[in-house]
Amino acid sequence: MKLTKSFNRSLWVFHLNTGSCNGCEIEIVATITPRYDPERFGMKLVGSPKHADVLLVTGPVTKKMAQKVRRVYEQVPDPKLVMCIGTCGQSGGVFYDSYNLDGPIDQILPVDVYVPGCPPRPEAIIFGVVKALEKLERLEAAQ
Amino acid sequence: MDLTAPVLTGYGIWAPVAWLAAFVAATIVVYILWKTGESSYKKGTEQGRPYLSGNAEPEKGAVHIRASNLYWGFLQALKGYYDAIVPMHTGVLTDYMVWFVAVTAVLLVIIGVLS
Repeated sequence: MKLTKSFNRSLWVFHLNTGSCNGCEIEIVATITPRYDPERFGMKLVGSPKHADVLLVTGPVTKKMAQKVRRVYEQVPDPKLVMCIGTCGQSGGVFYDSYNLDGPIDQILPVDVYVPGCPPRPEAIIFGVVKALEKLERLEAAQ
Repeated sequence: MDLTAPVLTGYGIWAPVAWLAAFVAATIVVYILWKTGESSYKKGTEQGRPYLSGNAEPEKGAVHIRASNLYWGFLQALKGYYDAIVPMHTGVLTDYMVWFVAVTAVLLVIIGVLS
């Protein structure tokens, strides 16, 4: 695993909706608005997993999305982190035990950071990003 | 040295040495850009394949755009004309000769009547 200098504190994020109700998406959009503006720290949403350091996953992972989730995860270059936003991704939420789910997300991917909430507030999402940075620093220190 | 002055090669636009120098300079720039790229991607895995919203990459033949697709609007606009004309295009030479003789005969009749 190689962590480049530019990787430090400048996380590019790819957002993947695996069957979310859109509540988490609205909060993610709120997070990147000028009120919170994480882009000033180098964090931004990117349009392709190939450009991303972090995979931001929302939703409980429906059966149709499971294979796509795996494929997108594999397309993110190493080293990579997975952040699970919202209750659905953690437990299935109100869709818990549904016949139509392959999730929650940790059944499909190794999740590094959980941000609970239905939906989580932008402050919580930013706190999750800080936790992700701490994990990266630990990885770096271990090298 | 005036950097904004036009470059005079003495040979017009085709100056092999100037073009070679430009090619070498472009190659060096491309090489530097390529070297700064991510080298740790795994060949032969999904990382080497295009991102298609998480969908599997279809066979090349399945995404091939035929040349006729470029003329779709044209063909659609003249649909009535082509619906009549295309069935006549049998590819049999004698059919075309019949059309040639028939059209020539009609034209001669029209010209004869008008004159």
